Amino acid sequence: MIFRSIREGLRGFTRHFGMSASSILIVSITLIILSVFMIFSYHLERFTRHFESTMEISVQIDYDYEDEDSEAILRKQIEAIEGVKKITFYTKEEEMEFYMNTIEDEREKEIYEPFENNMNPMHDSFYIETDTGSQIEQVANEIRKLEGIYKVEYGGENTMNAVSMMMNVRRGTLIVVIVMIIMAIFLIRTTIRQTISSRVDEMRIMQDVGASNRFIRAPFVWEGVIIGLLGAIVPIALTIYAYISYYKGTGGKVLAGLFTLVSPSPFLFYICGIVLFIGVLVGFVGSWTSVTGFLRARR
Amino acid sequence: MIECSSVYKRYKSGTNALYDINLDIDQGEFVYVIGPTGAGKSTLIKLLDGEETPTKGLVKVAGIDVGKLKRRQIPLYRRNIGVVFQDYKLLATKTVAENIAYALEVINVKKPQIDKRVKELLEILNIPEIKDAFPDNISGGQQQRVAIARAMANRPKVLIADEPTGNLDLNMSMEVMDSLERINAKYGTTIVMVTHDVGIVNRRRKRTLVLEHGHIVADLLDGGYVTHDI
Repeated sequence: MIFRSIREGLRGFTRHFGMSASSILIVSITLIILSVFMIFSYHLERFTRHFESTMEISVQIDYDYEDEDSEAILRKQIEAIEGVKKITFYTKEEEMEFYMNTIEDEREKEIYEPFENNMNPMHDSFYIETDTGSQIEQVANEIRKLEGIYKVEYGGENTMNAVSMMMNVRRGTLIVVIVMIIMAIFLIRTTIRQTISSRVDEMRIMQDVGASNRFIRAPFVWEGVIIGLLGAIVPIALTIYAYISYYKGTGGKVLAGLFTLVSPSPFLFYICGIVLFIGVLVGFVGSWTSVTGFLRARR
Repeated sequence: MIECSSVYKRYKSGTNALYDINLDIDQGEFVYVIGPTGAGKSTLIKLLDGEETPTKGLVKVAGIDVGKLKRRQIPLYRRNIGVVFQDYKLLATKTVAENIAYALEVINVKKPQIDKRVKELLEILNIPEIKDAFPDNISGGQQQRVAIARAMANRPKVLIADEPTGNLDLNMSMEVMDSLERINAKYGTTIVMVTHDVGIVNRRRKRTLVLEHGHIVADLLDGGYVTHDI
């Protein structure tokens, strides 16, 4: 039965080649966008997670509150904020030492040396790690409300803004992908309907002699699946070629090493598997709904 | 074999097609259903082959309550019912033998069995010489006999013939009637034949149901000349 269904499905595919070809085209375009979207999303997600894990909040204490009691109260208040994972305290002397260690030029170091003693302009500070990167902004805002805080900073606000913008791009792309998948399904439905209309007598006869709906439906579903499969070939080939070329060309590092690309294997295997699956699924859903509509029209 | 008890059919459009239909048809009976256009003949056929469900009442065929069948049960039920149409509904791209075999292929009967059954049916219907011909190259009478052979391929218990002679001249109509009678005699198949052809009804006397405006107005057990204007 399966061979008959595939044979009939292929026949239907070639019978309306024009419509089949346009369906394949739209499936291909959809899957190319989907593939780019998945690769982009995966890397963005990976980068964001890595970036967030390295971020911490720097809290400088007001000079008037740099006594043990005030600092103990502040620590307790900060600990009570939701999302705070770890607090590390550094005195202004330690802060100065860190700062001096970052200066490589000896002459510049000399300029700062007087500050190491009585004129130390640094503040006692807390360094705070949060449970997740996404909590940083919220925790920082809560700390800013506390009394005795001079300044709250966290590195990479600009980077976070860029990530947030990329997340919006990702959301937009996802909407485009969903719309295109729906379009592809409708186009496949139309293609399959053409096959159905050219075989309506045969289908009625099948119903009259007691063929099961599964038997009647199978060739049309295969036709849809064939369209989906063929529609997935070009995106898969393009994804493999483009990603590997780009990976080799950049040595796996993009934007001055800010982004690192995932190794093509097994990453591309998964991406192509998903592309193939979505292609087949789109073909299946389009044809299934189309032929089921016909079968439902008659008891 | 066929039982209709207080059957009413009202379509969603509001049309009342059948009113209080009561009838019993035994196994092996050959029954004509006659009546003017709009009398409810087609609706009766649709109720018998499960395409429609009664609004009220009971329709039983071969012991099966057709009105209660679920959609997924209909294909299996239809294997008990053969249907023949006025316009034959043969597949033009298949030969006579392939058209008959098709009814068996779609229900997954094995090839040797199909070949055997097709040969047998071609002989019973007196059309073995045209087995390799295509429908467009044979006469209307022959096409209808091929359609009967296809309808009989599953050896159904009931054969419904909807105006099987409607497109045929007298000679061809007689050929088709001969075929139906042979099937009826050989297999004991219950045959319900809807027709407008008073000539046939009068010539080949059989039980005749007369439908008018959705009512059975006469059930002539011995057939006979129908005086109703149909």
